[in-house]
Amino acid sequence: MAGPSELQASAFSAAELEFLAEDETIEIVPNMRMDPLNFISGDFGPFRPQIATEVPLWLAVALKKRGKCTIRPPEWMSVEKLTQVLEAERDSEKFQPLPFHYVEISRLLFDHAREDIPDIYMVRSLIEDIKDVRFHKIGTGLEIISKERTYALRLKNLSAMEANIVRPFITRALETFSKLSSSEMIQESDHVPNRQPQAMNRGPRRQLKDR
Amino acid sequence: MAKYYDVDDILAEEEFVPSVFQHAANEVGIFDTSDDTNKVEVGSRVELPFWLVRELYLRQLISIRVPPYFDRGSRTREEIGADAAHVDLRSQCAYFYELGCKVAPLIGDKTIGPLLLVAFRTRYKEVLIKAHTLTLAVAPKHLTLLTKEEAKLYEAGQSSIAAFKKWRMGGPRFQAAPVLGRKRKPT
Repeated sequence: MAGPSELQASAFSAAELEFLAEDETIEIVPNMRMDPLNFISGDFGPFRPQIATEVPLWLAVALKKRGKCTIRPPEWMSVEKLTQVLEAERDSEKFQPLPFHYVEISRLLFDHAREDIPDIYMVRSLIEDIKDVRFHKIGTGLEIISKERTYALRLKNLSAMEANIVRPFITRALETFSKLSSSEMIQESDHVPNRQPQAMNRGPRRQLKDR
Repeated sequence: MAKYYDVDDILAEEEFVPSVFQHAANEVGIFDTSDDTNKVEVGSRVELPFWLVRELYLRQLISIRVPPYFDRGSRTREEIGADAAHVDLRSQCAYFYELGCKVAPLIGDKTIGPLLLVAFRTRYKEVLIKAHTLTLAVAPKHLTLLTKEEAKLYEAGQSSIAAFKKWRMGGPRFQAAPVLGRKRKPT
């Protein structure tokens, strides 16, 4: 990827992820009449006043800026849904299923379509809370790496932004761990308790809060 | 030679390793500045950079004495055993892990590997917590204890969090290219 990400360690910059998230579709209710649009990614429309239609988020935002439509917030962005998710997120060890780009989508909608979202303050703080709980889980989960031999992490339901933030850290840490625990550095088992037998070259996969 | 272009790998080999000459050597008085005979006697103790030590050792011209921080029963080693997270490894050797990985196979000391692993395990946790919670203003104090490897890890975590926060705060979403800033001259 060319662009600002080259300056940072992570694979994508936040702005690039936001760009990718703009390809997700969302429902809008246009207030103008327009023929279907034929894009490489598919055909969208036709647009008729008061008839809802699915369009990519970037198109929705562009139309919204011109006052040509109202955006229907996605189903998961309601107060009840988010409250449920937040509670489940707090109670369980697992990550709750949320859209892959939920951080970016919510930010875009908060920026451009605040009047279309019912209970925006509530929704906004709920999403913040969910995000914080999940980040805390990631943080505590990462401590596992140091306890046993770890070769891979499985993070089910992790969102794009979350994965992107921890990516540089995790890859670097795993690299160092694998270097230090390689067979040529550690030959005799008597110094390290709980070590895997040498025959098992690929150790068990650590599961990060996902059982 | 997989890391031929890795500058840290090169710098790690600059670290000094104490060694003992097994043969007298002429014209290398630069290693041993105690007299001006321009020669090194048998059995003199000299600190040489690792890249030189490796070559000389393989030719059996010198014997290696383990660097003090890897030595069995040394103070650093005991400190790592007690609480690795707060040992000032940077002042001991900024390339602690890299050098350890190079020295251990050469002299066949099997206790170095586990030592490095234990040290990194404990210190990793500390770095993990600090990288994701501390603000930039508080960081430097803790950074001074870290070796190069750990500092880079810390930096990786810290910078991605910082980048995310910056994006969240918003600010100018699009920045005009400087070329576009020029106004057309009014005619």
